[in-house]
Amino acid sequence: MEVNWAQVLFNSAITGSFYLLGAVGLTLTYGLSNFPNFAHAELITLGAFIGYLLTEQLGLSLPIAFVVSFLCTGLVGFLCYRGIFQPLAKRGATIIHLMVTSIALGFILRHSIGAIWSWEPVYFTATWSAFDVGRLRVTALWIWLIVTALSLALIMHFLLVRTKIGKAIRATSSNPELALASGINTDRVIWITWFIGAGLAAIAGIFRGADTQIWPMTGWDVILPMFAVAILGGIGNFYGAIAAAFIIGLAENVGVVGLTMLGLSTTYRIGIAFLILIITLIVRPQGLAMLFRRA
Amino acid sequence: MDPLLYIFDLIVYIGIFGIVALSLNLEFGFTGLANFGKVAFFLAGAYTYALLSQIGIPFYLCLIAGALVSAVFGLLVSLPALRLRADYLAIVVLTFGEILRLIVKSEDWIAGGDWGISVSRAISLVGASPRVNALVNIGLVYLCLLVCFLLVQLLTNSPYGRVIRAIREDEIAAEALGKNRAKYKAQIFMLGSAMAGVAGGLYAQYLQCILPGMFMPMVTFTVWIMVLLGGPANNKGVLVGAMLIEVFDRGANIAKDYLILPVDPSNLQYILFGALIILVLFYRPQGLLKESSVKTKALELARYERSAAKSKGS
Repeated sequence: MEVNWAQVLFNSAITGSFYLLGAVGLTLTYGLSNFPNFAHAELITLGAFIGYLLTEQLGLSLPIAFVVSFLCTGLVGFLCYRGIFQPLAKRGATIIHLMVTSIALGFILRHSIGAIWSWEPVYFTATWSAFDVGRLRVTALWIWLIVTALSLALIMHFLLVRTKIGKAIRATSSNPELALASGINTDRVIWITWFIGAGLAAIAGIFRGADTQIWPMTGWDVILPMFAVAILGGIGNFYGAIAAAFIIGLAENVGVVGLTMLGLSTTYRIGIAFLILIITLIVRPQGLAMLFRRA
Repeated sequence: MDPLLYIFDLIVYIGIFGIVALSLNLEFGFTGLANFGKVAFFLAGAYTYALLSQIGIPFYLCLIAGALVSAVFGLLVSLPALRLRADYLAIVVLTFGEILRLIVKSEDWIAGGDWGISVSRAISLVGASPRVNALVNIGLVYLCLLVCFLLVQLLTNSPYGRVIRAIREDEIAAEALGKNRAKYKAQIFMLGSAMAGVAGGLYAQYLQCILPGMFMPMVTFTVWIMVLLGGPANNKGVLVGAMLIEVFDRGANIAKDYLILPVDPSNLQYILFGALIILVLFYRPQGLLKESSVKTKALELARYERSAAKSKGS
């Protein structure tokens, strides 16, 4: 079998960009609030369905859908933290309690989405022009996905490095007590991070929907590789997450080629992320952190 | 449907999930391990039972084999994450459960893939009515439940139990006292997985057919609700939790046929389960029944002396 390696690399960039958008919020909230938010999966799904509502059911254009979905899902993410996780943490809930709560919240969100939009997969009807560059098959949507992911990563970088709130996020992430003592309103920092993280998840969700199809399990189907991204990149580490997203994207796409060659089902691609996760935990549980400046 | 049979069916389910809830209680309640992939070990036990019983191995050996296979899986999966924080273990085990389900789903040659595999009853009496069969199952399941209950109860009230409780409260303090926390956690995880494996085997032979779709992550979280609601680190509590959740599940299923709701009842049921977990964690994190103090000879003696002093004084 001949492998079109250019296509594999390009697909890796697509997968990596998607994981990056989805995992940034996961890893930042994980680092700041000290627990993995499993309901992040449902924030991706919710974002996708809000985008579907706006474009397909209300007939608005896709850019508007991106902005509105970013804001709405961001608000939901903020409310989840403000309304449930924060009070629970203040009552002295352990990390396990917070994790279970996030799963419970995920069930509530997922089945509410199922009740509102039904469990049948839905599609975005917008079509995207496809063209060939040499032996590479490219669609405009994929280009947009990569461009959006990279430019949002750049914006996040400037936000974290140059702005006051970004510096506050980094300070709170590395040492919450010291940040609080220095006069940073750490609660507000965490709220803003949850908002942005959930908003970025929504953008990932819309891209997923426009590329394939969406149903209430959309987020759950992709959340486990995103956890691998968060852990490989080092929990709470923004730059680590960027590197990890593309590493896992590459590993998955090369792995799929390998699986096809071995005659195995390509549904095992989740196994590749799992393998990376296990190897990370054995070899370097802190992930790629420290290779990058902590964000 | 025969109402008596329906009640027997409910009793069998309570017994099977009671075993799983006890195993999760051992791991989470007593040791503080977040096993978010309980269903993986339940699945391993069920499929081991199904595959072995097909080649004519007696049922008790199949159950034991299921327990062993689950225990080995439990050890392998938990080893990379046991020295780390609870969240790493949760993510690893959850992913493992999804992958295990994908494997039995995609590989038709193992156990029929999506179509599942039929399993023979553990004890089949010639010419027995469904009611008698259900009663036989109740006997078998509750015998296993009793063994598991006594095992967990004795283990957690022994010096060993005090060590695992210490690890739950403060790992580093326990380690400083010379307790190898990774070893204890691995042992508990293996034992918990083995119990889930037995429950899986019982489940497979009771339903006489298993499909990958029966082992969704929801199973894990149903068991979590049982433990959190009943009372973590209280073995009687988690059995009460298992009973309440199973009864609620049945009640919801019956109500579905009679109620006309604007929301699809199956969605509503999951939403209620989710809300229940959050409410319990908010308002009663210790569960319905609180953790009982450890029974030790010293405590008994102290109680005895106190009552003796009181009777002397009066």
